[in-house]
Amino acid sequence: MEFYTKPGDYDAINYIPHTESHGTKELWRTFWILLGITVLDFGIYFAMSPSMFKNIIFIFFGLVKAYYIVGAFMHMKSEKINLALVILVPTVFIIGLIMGLLYEGHALTYVK
Amino acid sequence: MANHSEAAFEQQPMWAGGRSPFNVSYGKLMMWIFLLSDAFTFSSLLVQYGAQRFSNVVTPVTTKWPDPASIFNHFPGLHGIHLPLLFVSVMTFILILSSVTMVLAVEAGHRKAKKEVARYMIYTILGGIAFLSCQAWEWATFIHEGARLNHNFFGITEQGYKHLHSVKFGQHFEWAAGDRTFGPVPFAALFFIVTGFHGFHVFSGVVINVIVYIMTRRGVFERRGHYEMIEKAGLYWHFVDLVWVFVFTFFYLI
Repeated sequence: MEFYTKPGDYDAINYIPHTESHGTKELWRTFWILLGITVLDFGIYFAMSPSMFKNIIFIFFGLVKAYYIVGAFMHMKSEKINLALVILVPTVFIIGLIMGLLYEGHALTYVK
Repeated sequence: MANHSEAAFEQQPMWAGGRSPFNVSYGKLMMWIFLLSDAFTFSSLLVQYGAQRFSNVVTPVTTKWPDPASIFNHFPGLHGIHLPLLFVSVMTFILILSSVTMVLAVEAGHRKAKKEVARYMIYTILGGIAFLSCQAWEWATFIHEGARLNHNFFGITEQGYKHLHSVKFGQHFEWAAGDRTFGPVPFAALFFIVTGFHGFHVFSGVVINVIVYIMTRRGVFERRGHYEMIEKAGLYWHFVDLVWVFVFTFFYLI
């Protein structure tokens, strides 16, 4: 493990890990995937009539795009697994919020 | 010397201080934690949108939730033509493209190529400004058509939907009398709040990118010996793109 730290360098307390370029091939591949999914979104929007299945497709595509943005663009795939878990596991609360809404939300229609 | 310090470093316990258990700098870790908290903020707003939408009931004074295709169907320079989803897809494309130039700047930073970093930062800033301009145009059109934070003139009547569905993509379309009435207020309010909050994030991202660009040009990172600031700004910028993916899905597609 190599650090860019020299005595007296103020970054000595920051421990900047050594980084290397992994080339731009994967980045461009991710770009084409994201563009392709967006074009698919556009196509499905006009090809299918509104239904719950169509909504599920759109949400699934959104999650796939999120995976590529976080994994490749934000370099989450090359981070340590500890860091990835610290950031990703708390998003369970968002799923909890959505589940709570789906379960309890019907009552809102009675209030209105 | 290097081997000696590396060995001493490896001997230190992982969590006893003095080393980074996640092999990441403090600033980058804190950026991740901030983005996590921001993800909660945005998801609470989007969940609220979902709650309002699915609990919307048709009453004598308000209609059902408007179909986004009936509202966001304009394109600059093509007045009165029914082009649903096209403009917002262009906006998505601009944001994805600026995300790519940002990550190319990060990659150039890994190679310590100052000129390339500066060039890609300029592209990223231009992409951000282009996106903000598109959003300003969209807001202006929506407001011009009668939407306000506390008022929504996009309650589309049965007659309005019949009229709308008779028009094909790319054909001329104008609302007729009786097509529209008062609609659910949360629709316009949440549109302004969520896209406004996202747009403000884009604006902050552009400001951060401009600052980082100036620092690059002045050789601050060159003297520091690493371009990690580009990575931190990049994390924020990609997060803005990530949020847009879900705003696009829930506001325009569904």
